[in-house]
Amino acid sequence: MIWTIIQTSWRRLKNNRSELLLTFLVPIVFFSIFAVIFGSRDSASLTPKIKVAISNQWPNELADRTVALLREQKTLRLTASTPRTASQSTDSISVTRESAEDLVRRGMVSAAVVFVKPSPDLALNGTAQVEVLSDSFDQIASQVLTAVVQKALMTATAEIAKLQTTRSRDDGVALAGYTNSIRPAMIATQPPMISSIDILGGKKTNPVIAMYAAGIAVMFLLFSATTASGSLLEERENSTLDRLLCSRLTMDQLLLGKWSFLTMIGFVQMTLMFIWGAIVFGIDLRHHIEGFIAMTLVTAGAASSFALMLASLCKSRMQLGWVSTIVILTMSALGGSMVPRYLMSETIQNAGLWTFNAWALDGYNKIFWRELQLRDVGLELVVLTASGFVFIVAARVFAIRWERA
Amino acid sequence: MLGPNTLLALPESVSRNGAIPALEVVNLWKKYGTNQALSGTSFSVAPGERLALLGPNGAGKTTLVRSMCGRVRPDDGQILLFGCSIREPNVLQQLGVVPQDLAIYLDLTAKENLECFGQLHGLRSRKLKERVAWALKWIGLEDRANELTSRFSGGMKRRVNIACGVLHRPSILLLDEPTVGVDPQSRQRIFDMLDELSQQGTCIVLTTHHLDEAETRSDRIVIVDHGKVVADGPIDELIANTIGVRREVIVETEGIMVAAPPGMEWDAARNRFTCYVDNVVEELPHILDRIQRVGGTIRDLEVHQPNLHHVFLHLTGKELRE
Repeated sequence: MIWTIIQTSWRRLKNNRSELLLTFLVPIVFFSIFAVIFGSRDSASLTPKIKVAISNQWPNELADRTVALLREQKTLRLTASTPRTASQSTDSISVTRESAEDLVRRGMVSAAVVFVKPSPDLALNGTAQVEVLSDSFDQIASQVLTAVVQKALMTATAEIAKLQTTRSRDDGVALAGYTNSIRPAMIATQPPMISSIDILGGKKTNPVIAMYAAGIAVMFLLFSATTASGSLLEERENSTLDRLLCSRLTMDQLLLGKWSFLTMIGFVQMTLMFIWGAIVFGIDLRHHIEGFIAMTLVTAGAASSFALMLASLCKSRMQLGWVSTIVILTMSALGGSMVPRYLMSETIQNAGLWTFNAWALDGYNKIFWRELQLRDVGLELVVLTASGFVFIVAARVFAIRWERA
Repeated sequence: MLGPNTLLALPESVSRNGAIPALEVVNLWKKYGTNQALSGTSFSVAPGERLALLGPNGAGKTTLVRSMCGRVRPDDGQILLFGCSIREPNVLQQLGVVPQDLAIYLDLTAKENLECFGQLHGLRSRKLKERVAWALKWIGLEDRANELTSRFSGGMKRRVNIACGVLHRPSILLLDEPTVGVDPQSRQRIFDMLDELSQQGTCIVLTTHHLDEAETRSDRIVIVDHGKVVADGPIDELIANTIGVRREVIVETEGIMVAAPPGMEWDAARNRFTCYVDNVVEELPHILDRIQRVGGTIRDLEVHQPNLHHVFLHLTGKELRE
């Protein structure tokens, strides 16, 4: 009897191609996708680089040498720095401390290094200061950068000290005889102080929650929208679609009706999640309500369009189930819903831009984390709206086959 | 969109005096890959007529039905409702469709389902309320209007399924096997409902595999096979034109027979004689006499009138189609 049950179960599995794929192939596909996304960090070419801006407010031999050493670091990508010479200004952006802070605040760079010009009193005391302006959104970048800057400073200090010793021997001049005019060079021989400043997360009550709320919300928005869009396939399977299209309803109206409903439900779903986050976890929803509404509307709209596209592409609810699971989990992994994108290699980060999770998360990140204005998420809003439009048009095209055989 | 008051309005060119058929299928052709589903199918239905559309599985019935409600685009030919092509705007509004599947929302109540499909057919406010109330009464579910249809029995679901197709008072009602899987009581109820509609002048086109239903509940029968109409007419006419009006006489005997009487088929295994007669009253005594002469003792006697079942098998054959 038991053998009969086993035999029958195997035969049923063998005859059900979808279940067979879901059982044996999908886990391998998932494993491969996640291995590619998260396992490629050992490869030098794919290692994520930290985007850094450097502001040198106190040009001297030590600062110049430190910047030069930082430029040589493979883990860093200097996207903006203070030009050392006039000729360099053509390919560099002039960065003040304020603009460096602004770059960090806007997420253009992960962190900034500022060589602070000491006040006259400090100069007399012989202490220099280097600030690492960090964004605790990228918790790894600030720590790595601090260590790298420290190493560069120590190296530069040692090199300069060695150079000065050589010069002093050559010149035969006692160190005690230095005047104030050459004091900066002396200061450079002492290790400067490094202070790490968290630009964004320092004042927030619960910084981590604000980052992850959007990630989880977008992923579940996609899942619930796709599940709900399966009603289209159910209607087709039980001939309700025939009946609907025999009435005054057109396919355009049907799709737009479903899209509107899914968007409304998605909006309410996201709103409830953020309200819960605000009440229980202290997300500051009240001061970001405008940006939240704009982002949530376009995100819910794009997710609904995407779900309808998947539904109109599939032949059955079962197929929709496993296709959507694969696609959504992959998009969520690439787009940063599961693991922050800064942990991924640059290649994967760029690939993530093809998912609307990434754009949605960037938008929410700018609103809630970076506290930017609505105009600052314009690009995200445009990309999400455009992708939503493309998805719904694709859904309409795929649905043509249901209109008339 | 038309308003509720214009819902039943027919095109100006259409008259309902019977001169123009309610439904006319003209030389319909449809091919799916290598499978020729329809091969020049033609027939028509008069206003108020009840037509049964029959055919073995794979004969092209479903394609024909789906073509009639505009869900399949034929390769050639046309379908006219009261003289207007179904491709013209709003013409399909005269058609009510009841699919074979339960094309209702099982997670809605009976009333909510009716309201949904009523609205999709352009019914609004008072008119919608009236029609929903009428439909609930018509299907005998007034007292369970607010219950989820998923909790209904098969027969009740079928009735809701039919009601959703007639809310907008269509001139032609297309039913695809409306009684499949329901008990005799529910079937009776469904046909009583359809009779009521028919009496009100609704043209009913019914596809079914229940030949007794087709025979007793329709004015005319169309049999489709291999995508063509192989028979079209009232049941008596079909019988007369195919297997004739001769009665089948079966005589069951006991005892040892010397030989079968001439003109009779002998089923030795069951001790049965079969023959066909034009006039039962005149010929039956002679038949019985002949059997007794060859040594047979008569145990039972059956006289069968030819029916749709015989016609159907005569025209479409006895071999399986699937």
